[in-house]
Amino acid sequence: MKSFIANFEIYIALILLTGIGLLSSCATDAEKYTLDYNKEVTGEIRATLTDAPLVPPRIEAKHNTKVIVELEIIEKTMRLADGVDYTFWTFGGKVPGKFIRVRQGDLVEFHLHNHPDNMLPHNIDLHAVTGPGGGAEASLIAPGKSAQFSFRALNQGLYVYHCATAPVGMHIANGMYGLILVEPLEGFPPVDHEFYVMQSEFYTTGRFGEKGHQDFDMQKALDERPDYVVMNGAVGASSGENAMKVKVGETVRLYMGNGGPNLVSSFHVIGEIFDKVYVEGGTLTNHDLQTTLVPAGGSAIAEFKCEVPGTLHLVDHSIFRAFNKGALAQIKVVGDENHKVFTGKEKEEVYLPEGSSIQSISSGKQTSSDEVIEEKTLEERLAAGKILYNQNCMACHMELGTGIAGTFPPLVNSDYLQALPDKGISVILNGLQGEILVNGEKFNNIMPAVSLNDDQVASILTYIHNNFDNGDGLIKAAEVKEWRNKK
Amino acid sequence: MLFKKELAFLVMLCFVVSSVSSQNKGMVLIPSGSYKPFIKGKVDEIQVDSFWIDEKSVTNAEFSTFVDANPSWSREEIKRLFADEDYLSHWATDLFNQDSFLVGNAPVVNVSWFAAKAYCEWQGKRLPMLSEWEYAASALPQGSVDSSSLQEIIANWYSRRTLSENDTVPHYKNEFGIWDMHGKIWEWVYDFNSVQSNEDSRNMEETPEGLFCGSASLNASDASDYSTFIRFAFRGSLKGHFTVRKLGFRCVKTK
Repeated sequence: MKSFIANFEIYIALILLTGIGLLSSCATDAEKYTLDYNKEVTGEIRATLTDAPLVPPRIEAKHNTKVIVELEIIEKTMRLADGVDYTFWTFGGKVPGKFIRVRQGDLVEFHLHNHPDNMLPHNIDLHAVTGPGGGAEASLIAPGKSAQFSFRALNQGLYVYHCATAPVGMHIANGMYGLILVEPLEGFPPVDHEFYVMQSEFYTTGRFGEKGHQDFDMQKALDERPDYVVMNGAVGASSGENAMKVKVGETVRLYMGNGGPNLVSSFHVIGEIFDKVYVEGGTLTNHDLQTTLVPAGGSAIAEFKCEVPGTLHLVDHSIFRAFNKGALAQIKVVGDENHKVFTGKEKEEVYLPEGSSIQSISSGKQTSSDEVIEEKTLEERLAAGKILYNQNCMACHMELGTGIAGTFPPLVNSDYLQALPDKGISVILNGLQGEILVNGEKFNNIMPAVSLNDDQVASILTYIHNNFDNGDGLIKAAEVKEWRNKK
Repeated sequence: MLFKKELAFLVMLCFVVSSVSSQNKGMVLIPSGSYKPFIKGKVDEIQVDSFWIDEKSVTNAEFSTFVDANPSWSREEIKRLFADEDYLSHWATDLFNQDSFLVGNAPVVNVSWFAAKAYCEWQGKRLPMLSEWEYAASALPQGSVDSSSLQEIIANWYSRRTLSENDTVPHYKNEFGIWDMHGKIWEWVYDFNSVQSNEDSRNMEETPEGLFCGSASLNASDASDYSTFIRFAFRGSLKGHFTVRKLGFRCVKTK
């Protein structure tokens, strides 16, 4: 049965291929894109190759030329996430592989080297190649060997290249992909910045974030269940300190690729609209887009102008991948605000749906009641505090009080909290706004006042102090009442 | 010169005599049996006759004895037809010239198929057939209960967590009683290019019957057996005169 299906698929493929052959041979449209490859090229240059997010400068020569590309395959162990290592197979020592830039009509002389220390045979399939296997057949090499082949860059476009040695999926899953740009001879219109971003997935034996060296997991790859979906080869490779940087008013062109091996990317930049997209990296352009699909083994070119300052988040809008698996890169836009485009926050108040205990930060303090509250034991306070914490605090400060770096301060062994004379009572009663320093890290955010009674505040704080390593001690409802009445 | 030749002959003669008398010293008898082939063909099982196999892969020290006795296989004199320029290149390094016992005991690498074959024949042995090698290598590590332990050895090697080819410490012995069929170096087989993954690894064009087409994995009996895929792809990337830094060999003998 299986072999029947296999044969059937081949027949279908043959029929399709024949059909395409017939169509293209008589289609006049095809000629428009076909280059006169009988025309000789003049001169030769050695291609400048770059690692993401950098893009090589365009070739300035006015005529087509021979471009010599030297690419070395290196198997090496590198960081996949903080505390997580992976043995990558790379085109040029990094993931994604080196960015290659040529022009339509150039003759590319390709030299592929398999480092002698490598363990495995490799090759390269460049989607920009017109020829068997995209060069794969001509380039299979054992460790310590080199292969050379040449091709004419017939079609314009942004193309993926990858290793195509068996098992192909595993070679790609281990990092063997990159981009080759074939731009028009006269070049693309100038922009202020060009960046190289490539999405891909990793299938590891351990779950996301599990420390130590992780191995490739074939079963997860077959099931298409990646633990990591990343931009530029590792979690945080192009975000935070490594973010791309531009100024307000500058234009950006993104060369976006998707190495796969399995997932299709819903590529989106949070805080921008693509003014122009070369759909799937080809010559068709679309305008005013929010999200563009980047197929596995495909690409897109996206252009936009940065009108206002802030941080743009480049994500796969299949959004759990972005926030839970690493599919996020950043562009930091610095410069002056432009309130004609975006005002920034004009007003902040907390929305108070019926029945919620959250209230506006500006609404002042809850009036105290005069009734006498019965005090509780430490155990009772901890039990009640845990529930109240999970209902009111956990969403931001997290279940274990770790907070979220850069956004919500941690409560675990918090020097800020421990230094408060009221043990934190006022923060809960009145909320907190503006810059604070917690355990050496700056936070500038807003915490709304929480509408809880004295008994509840006492329980929450008892829980926070005892459970998150801020010193022991029972906080009494009477203390809360005392602070509430102080002002 | 004449003396040297005579000496070499004498050494050979002694060796032949001694190996016969010592009943295949350093070799293990693999019982006849069968294994499930990786490449789907007409047969579900491949039968393998009983044969002797070297307990360990051939070491630098052993190979240097061969080269001393057969100077035409030395680094200096070997013909390019039989080995590329990296032939025994690791012998030129300081590490090896220290003449240390340790490196001498490490498996010899950077040897071509021709050289490996010549060595085995010099010993009255031969290179294993692919089916013999695969059958011998399919045995699990001694004492293990399932195939995951073997997969782990291979995975650790791929991810470079085991030591290099200069490692002289044996890693594991399999149920047949032979050492390190996986996890240390690749090994030549006699018919390394008979079951060849296509260079593109994906082509589905007519391949001679029974041959392997790396690709689409349509011909593999277990498409998820990536370590075997890699082994077949590796063999497919070789030519007889190639030498590779992690490729050595061991010999076998028909029973």
